[in-house]
Amino acid sequence: MKKEKFSELCRSLAQSKEHELTRAILPIVKKQMLKNNKSKLPVIWLETNDSGDNNISFMNTTFPYLGQVLSDMIDLLYSNTFMAAQGPDALNILNQVSSLYRSRFTLVVEGAIPLNSNGLFCSIALTPNRPVTALEAVTTLGNQAQYVVAIGTCASFGGVTAARPNITGSVGVRDVLSSRKVINVSGCPVNPDWFVGTLAHLLMYGLPELDKLNRPNLFYEYTIHRHCQRRSYFDNKDFAEKLGDIECMFSQGCVGPRTNADCPYRQWVNYVSWPVKANTPCIGCTNEDFPDASTPFFMPLNEKVSSRAPQVLFKGKELSDE
Amino acid sequence: MSKQRVMFSPVTRLSGLLSVDAVLEKGKIIDAKASSTMFRGFEQLMRDRKVTDAVYLTQRVCGICSLAHGAVASYLLDEIYDNNLSENAQYLRNVMYAAEFLQNHIRHFYLFSMPDFVKMPERPPFQGQNLTDARLNPEDNQRLVGHYFEAIKAAQRAHEIVALFGGKAPHQHSFLHGGVTVAPTADNVNRAVFLLDAICNFVKSCLVPDTELIAKVYHDYFKIGITPRRLLSFGLFRFGLKNEVYYFKGGVLEGNNLSLPRLDLISESITNSWFAMNNGDLQPDPHKARAYSYVIAAKYAGQYFQVGPLARMIINGRYNGGTSTMDRIYARTIETLLITELMRDWLMRLQPGPPPLAQKDTPIKTQATSVVDSMRGCLLHSAIIQDDQVVKYNIITPTCWNFSPRDAYGQYSPVESALIGTEIPRPDLTYTILGRTVRSFDPCLNCGTHVLDLKGNVKQELMI
Repeated sequence: MKKEKFSELCRSLAQSKEHELTRAILPIVKKQMLKNNKSKLPVIWLETNDSGDNNISFMNTTFPYLGQVLSDMIDLLYSNTFMAAQGPDALNILNQVSSLYRSRFTLVVEGAIPLNSNGLFCSIALTPNRPVTALEAVTTLGNQAQYVVAIGTCASFGGVTAARPNITGSVGVRDVLSSRKVINVSGCPVNPDWFVGTLAHLLMYGLPELDKLNRPNLFYEYTIHRHCQRRSYFDNKDFAEKLGDIECMFSQGCVGPRTNADCPYRQWVNYVSWPVKANTPCIGCTNEDFPDASTPFFMPLNEKVSSRAPQVLFKGKELSDE
Repeated sequence: MSKQRVMFSPVTRLSGLLSVDAVLEKGKIIDAKASSTMFRGFEQLMRDRKVTDAVYLTQRVCGICSLAHGAVASYLLDEIYDNNLSENAQYLRNVMYAAEFLQNHIRHFYLFSMPDFVKMPERPPFQGQNLTDARLNPEDNQRLVGHYFEAIKAAQRAHEIVALFGGKAPHQHSFLHGGVTVAPTADNVNRAVFLLDAICNFVKSCLVPDTELIAKVYHDYFKIGITPRRLLSFGLFRFGLKNEVYYFKGGVLEGNNLSLPRLDLISESITNSWFAMNNGDLQPDPHKARAYSYVIAAKYAGQYFQVGPLARMIINGRYNGGTSTMDRIYARTIETLLITELMRDWLMRLQPGPPPLAQKDTPIKTQATSVVDSMRGCLLHSAIIQDDQVVKYNIITPTCWNFSPRDAYGQYSPVESALIGTEIPRPDLTYTILGRTVRSFDPCLNCGTHVLDLKGNVKQELMI
């Protein structure tokens, strides 16, 4: 609607009673906002080498539930998991929306990117002529996006997919898109609140405040240890003798002291529990060096550190083939 | 009429990355190759780690059936450490396992399969939906769309039960070797019962009638996507002091001949997989000529077998239909209904008490193999250890059975045999028909990305 026509409508209805003005302009405003995509975040979601746990965890979001996220918060334009379109129709949509929403869409990447063998250990699709590797897709779309969000630890830092010996040479998105900022929402899987909360921040207030690993401070500012309900046991050196006990899990391998996340008070799946509440150790799944620095999972942290061989921290940046 | 190549890629609404390369001639699919395009290398990853890390690490193989990997790894460790399982541990483990099944089956039917049959709202993520064969009347259609959004909550509640006893989901923490680390208490059992009530209501008032409606309106799909009647199940829901009892029995069904599965008859082929033998070790080889998938072909007695809910339900006498696309969808719903009933019974049998966990410290075996059915079918973990370190860890997932490439003799895997021979009456129905049949197997390619070398069987076919 043209500006003049809109002003005219406002003038003519300004004196009327029973909120006729509100009723008349609300749908117009809503339509206009939708047209400019001001009300929803346009999202392109690429699944690469991962277990798919992050999209499942995303489905576990409550308040808002997944249905509300999809209808009121984001326009999920491309997603291997959710989109109704399939085959070449889906690829066409990807081509169309990436140019239509260029510099406006948020790229969500779920999974690590294998670099060895020219990226052939993961292709997001095959065309009749050639594979479209995750490496190529993330590089291209990452440079066209307004924001890039890595969901889960594989996409953030390589994670389990890049664990030793990392024969695929997998890395996190930040190593593929080194020239731009990648927001890392790590976790194995991600807690749906961390991801939906990050999207909400992007939508409502823009870029959130990030820590040195580019994770939103909102969720990752403090260690598990700082907020753990069993902290008093630790301070009193009252350690669990075995899994299943109610005391501090440090003796059972807990890496909470070096893990940043808010699990102790946020908890999981409608906020019902978290690993320490389940009488097991935190395994540090949000960490940059997960899982290699967390295994053996049930060995106390001080012993893990001293038993670790140097090659365990191999990050998989070498390209073995070329 | 000449041959036409159809590249169905990406197959969306599934777990992981899948493409199907098909050839059409005279309105019929004459060839189809199912191609998994992701490889992660879990078996290499497991080497030189403590075997007790297997429960948490192997859950990361797959996000939608993570608990199944944790469960089969726990059974493996129970055998290696000679644990005894208390009754509470058995019931609690199976309650969690059942809840994982419920989220999987509900999500598969509504989020993945239903947009193949129902006209979804015209907005993301449903834009660009192919509607050339949407047959429901507007009232039914609208009701089922509503159920899509209800299903989201029902599946979330199933995972809430897993988290209640398991700490989180996916990748729960408490189902470990020796039992479960969380105590059954009046409040968490009660909460689980009420969550289950809501799920039960959903299954009875939505999933079952919706499946019946789809099966009625799309009745022709009982004649589409038929596979040979070779069905395999390892059995499901393990009970007993030593996990020796299976609630649903395992079986090998060929035609009408039913026998018990024998692990020594399992073999595998890498003929058309992107793998090669290198100094006695299997290594990925993405440039291998003629290969087209990262899935390795698992076979039983030299033949391909279909695995999954249909195999389980037929073998256990709970379903007596065929092996078509709609049979697979229908059997999955029957199983979902059965599981909601079983789960309630198991929950009620829990006795309040301490965490039902008793882990022994010293391995009594240096190798073990454990099997169970996961949501999509037969799952096998096998380990060779020295002290308590993994020397070799092998995984055969259901994807290796249903989504494997053809073998050295040109035999087709279940999904390929379901597609080949399918009639495509009109060109604009090509992807619709392919999509419905492929998704009826509940594809999960995250799982398919593994290397197996069970007792050196791989080498036999490598000679060809």
